[in-house]
Amino acid sequence: MSEINENLGKQERSQRFQIAEPENLSKRSKWLRDYFYKGRGRKWNNQFTPFTTGTDWDINWHEGDWYINPEVYFYIQALGKKDMGVFASSYRSMASPVKLPENFWELSIPERRIFFLKEVMLNYIPQEIISENDLIAGGRFNTQLSKCFNKKEAKKYWKWNIKNREANFKYHYSGFGNIGAAPGHIIPDYETVIKKGFKYIYEKAIKRYELLSKNDKRGPKGQELRAIITATEIPRKFAKKYADECKKLKEKASSPQRVEELEKMAQNLERVPWEPAETFWQAVQSLWITHMLLMAEESYPGAGLSFGRMDQYLWPYYKKDVIEEKFISKEFAKDILGSFWFHCNTAYDAMIILGRQGITSGYGQLLTLSGCGPNGEDLTNELTYTILEVIDEWYPSLEPKPNVKLHRNSPDKLLDTVINMISRAQGAPFLINFDERSMAGLIAEGIPKEEVWNYACVGCLENTMQGNDRSGTVNCNPNLVKTMELILWNGKNMPGNDKAIKKGEQLGPKSGNPENFQTWKEFWNAWRKQMEFVIKYTVDIYDKDEDIVAKLMPTPLLSSIVRGCIEKGLDIRQGGPELRFVTVNGVGFATLVDSLLAIKKFVYDEKKYTIAQIKDAIMNNFEGLEYEKMSVFLKNKAPKFGNDSDEADELARNIMKTWADECWKFKTPNNYQYRPGMLSWNYWAGEDAGLTIATPDGRKKGTFLSNAICPTSGADLKGPTAVTNSVGRAIGGITEGGELINYLPNGTSQTITFNPSILRDPEHREKFKSYLRGYIENGGTCLQINMLDTEMLKDAQIHPDNYKNLLVRVTGYNAYFTGIGKELQDEIITRECHKM
Amino acid sequence: MSVIIESDKGLIFEIQKMSTEDGPGIRTTVFFKQCPLRCIWCHNPESLLKTPQLEWFKHKCIGCKTCIETCEQKVLTLDEDGLHIDREKCISCGNCVKECPSTALHMFGEWWDLEGLYNEIQKDKVYYQKSKGGVTVSGGEPTLQSSFLLRFLKKCKGNGISTALDTCGFANRKIYEKLLPFVDLVLLDIKQIDSEKHQEFTGVKNEIILENAELIANYVQNNNKKMWIRTPIIPNYTATEDNIKGIGKFIIEKLRNIPERWDLLSFNNLCTAKYERLNMDWPLKDLALMTKQEIEILFDIAKKTGVKNVQWSGLTKIKEDN
Repeated sequence: MSEINENLGKQERSQRFQIAEPENLSKRSKWLRDYFYKGRGRKWNNQFTPFTTGTDWDINWHEGDWYINPEVYFYIQALGKKDMGVFASSYRSMASPVKLPENFWELSIPERRIFFLKEVMLNYIPQEIISENDLIAGGRFNTQLSKCFNKKEAKKYWKWNIKNREANFKYHYSGFGNIGAAPGHIIPDYETVIKKGFKYIYEKAIKRYELLSKNDKRGPKGQELRAIITATEIPRKFAKKYADECKKLKEKASSPQRVEELEKMAQNLERVPWEPAETFWQAVQSLWITHMLLMAEESYPGAGLSFGRMDQYLWPYYKKDVIEEKFISKEFAKDILGSFWFHCNTAYDAMIILGRQGITSGYGQLLTLSGCGPNGEDLTNELTYTILEVIDEWYPSLEPKPNVKLHRNSPDKLLDTVINMISRAQGAPFLINFDERSMAGLIAEGIPKEEVWNYACVGCLENTMQGNDRSGTVNCNPNLVKTMELILWNGKNMPGNDKAIKKGEQLGPKSGNPENFQTWKEFWNAWRKQMEFVIKYTVDIYDKDEDIVAKLMPTPLLSSIVRGCIEKGLDIRQGGPELRFVTVNGVGFATLVDSLLAIKKFVYDEKKYTIAQIKDAIMNNFEGLEYEKMSVFLKNKAPKFGNDSDEADELARNIMKTWADECWKFKTPNNYQYRPGMLSWNYWAGEDAGLTIATPDGRKKGTFLSNAICPTSGADLKGPTAVTNSVGRAIGGITEGGELINYLPNGTSQTITFNPSILRDPEHREKFKSYLRGYIENGGTCLQINMLDTEMLKDAQIHPDNYKNLLVRVTGYNAYFTGIGKELQDEIITRECHKM
Repeated sequence: MSVIIESDKGLIFEIQKMSTEDGPGIRTTVFFKQCPLRCIWCHNPESLLKTPQLEWFKHKCIGCKTCIETCEQKVLTLDEDGLHIDREKCISCGNCVKECPSTALHMFGEWWDLEGLYNEIQKDKVYYQKSKGGVTVSGGEPTLQSSFLLRFLKKCKGNGISTALDTCGFANRKIYEKLLPFVDLVLLDIKQIDSEKHQEFTGVKNEIILENAELIANYVQNNNKKMWIRTPIIPNYTATEDNIKGIGKFIIEKLRNIPERWDLLSFNNLCTAKYERLNMDWPLKDLALMTKQEIEILFDIAKKTGVKNVQWSGLTKIKEDN
């Protein structure tokens, strides 16, 4: 008999509340980490520094970059006022003027912008080596650069921008979600920069330019390519300045060892990123200088500007220097990486806090580790493990964000390492991405089978190819749950829910009075109509958000290292990349699924309630005795997504497929194909939740929606394997022939919280490993694991000072538990905590 | 011998997915209702009877009285102390459970047909394969539903799913002979080596159990299967040096050290609330957890008996927390 089936394991309360601290850091890396965490107490920082052309009409902050952060709308502008908001005007007034050459205003926009970037980075931003502990040059990069408009362009911008703003704000405040053409979210072709140098790219651009006809040279292609040519020389000149700084510092160096290091650093900088890197140190230096300049160009630090498969492209250098020739020690290589880690974190100096839910910011400099090769073979190498060591030693820290790719042939050693790291931290210090499922989605979007293995992740978990792919991975975030309101009120908002629109405005199509629907089929068809409308409404707004940056705000430096742009003579923002997508991330998936399941069961199958009763209950926000009872009933008695139930998961899959198919029908004016994803970042917990009325699954207005592909909070009652199976099924399942299907090329995250006792001994760690191997077959594209004891979290709410280091994962982001809002804390506590 | 329920369906009170405590790998544990023993320390009081049983969760109840309105037998009353169930009159029809909006009422025990039960457990086949896990039948005492159990085990084995039988050993040997060909691992409880004490603490003597233990040990050895012994470690009842030494001696001498592993499972009190919800009294509700030091003393004694691969798990308390 099973006397003890509720076994909690050999855990003692005294051990429960330990928070992971950084450990085993070298003296050097420890100094850098400590220095970063001094925050405002530091002498040096990397705040946004604004620069202007000095004209009256200048703009150096484009609000559209931030439209996907609704928590900053207030600072953009309150509804109805047609000028600059707080951010734009304060950056404008603080900006330092940059001296411009006489012919500046005769140049094209891309040429002006690149000239401006060059001037600022070479002559206005100081080149500083942060400390004697720093081995990687490259300090300040957080800029707000002038958009370099002439008066006519500025006028055009404002007219356009105000229209866009009104459309975006209306969309958001009437509960549809948010949309914006965000910067970053791409893996530039860093590999080519490291291996061939900017020289190669410069020559490629010159050759391409020379092939242009006379007419083309005068036109936009010529303008863009000239700007790109200028751009490719900036890294060389910029690195040279840092080389000079290193030489200067030699005189003040405190030890002969430091003198030697500074000499080496100067040599490195005189070579890279212009020439191919020859050593590991040069490769990392080349990568950092390039990366920081891109962040400066986009005036938005690390917005999903991601490194790709770093353990692969740095591997030849590491192998040669550390393993074969032993030119540097592993410890020194780790300090090189440590310096890189430090610089990535300084992106956070730009602004301290964003948003009331406090997911600290929209940064996501992601690096991807491990994964498979062209024949499914494993590509884990010694550098993979070294980088994992750095991640482990730096934990907890915020940047760069690592993803580890697992697949059918991942070695036990890698899984053991992953699990050891999970058990030390309060969860995985990385996201786990699953190759087979992810690749199935990318193949479906047209990536050839021979190439797809080399995909990597950007931002949080979004799947893209490397060096040639902008997939706008976070740009459209419609609230799927909005469709429920539109069906119930025949294409209008619920009466009284019309703050941002005209009273009684017909927003969506008239899908019929639902009170007259006789069958579930009729209701389902109405849902389809409203869903089609939501997607069309979304893409119509995005098209314009994209077009303003395409026409007025090109980024020639980034374009120079995204394959396709030079070849076509087109900026990355104008359709240059070889692979061009915009992702539509559905928000609140499980809340929608559960709502439809409740309607199907109780209105049409069992006829317990009528649509009129459901509408009344929603209008009353389930308040009052009868409606409270109804809310509880709907919450508990309807089938729920996430329990491996055939009925619920099949409807979930149907909704997913229908929705995904619809996304594929549209393209932007700049030739980007819309594609489906389900990232849902923090919106489900923040802005969208607050703007969504009560729902037929019994949820009240303002409470959280479901997160990404996760079940609604607390709805999954059958344990981790069941919820995993549901997720895999919802995003496509498996064909009869055993092939994985994935409707979401962008990917989606499943957050799962375990009780730490599941990793208590080697036997249970083996079991957990098998669970991960099972996930490869049955699960989704991406898993984030929290390892949290509910009692500890409650204690952390009461004594936040004792838990300053407690990092938890929230939708792909690491966030400090004590720094997030109470609501989100409560959500994390009530998440189904799986004991195995 | 207790009554054997012969039925097309099995009465199951819980199906636990991703179970990691009932055999190797990742498993699904299927808990069969009814038990021939009445162990003082029983952790699954809902498993004892052969009928479904109603339980009520105070913290989930919203006080709407829907259950009272629904019940045709009029067995439910609600007052300031909570919901009272007249268990003599309750016929376990389940109507109140169906109507209760908040799932405050729950029925232990549901009749499953073979196809339905198999469909439910095969959903995790991938995890069984990756972990060398499978299905564990537990209870209660699953052998009391031997006809349904046999068909279920055959179906699992026929479809390549590994099986484990978690049993108290108190059943007719013929039942084991029938079941064993379809079982890969037997988890056999030996709780108390002294038969008089065994009767005092569990309601039955242990001779049948020990005879069956020998039968199972011989069978697994001859048929390349496995057997684990499990002993609940309950202060005052089984947590004694004599008992552990005695069980160890039995495993070495009578079972010829055939069992692959011996698990000591330390007492836990997580079931206290279940007893309350079933209106049952639990004599051990105030019994303190053991400390890690106490259980490790017994663990050392067990290891010294010479039995291979002794393990312990379960709840312990920290010393100063009395």
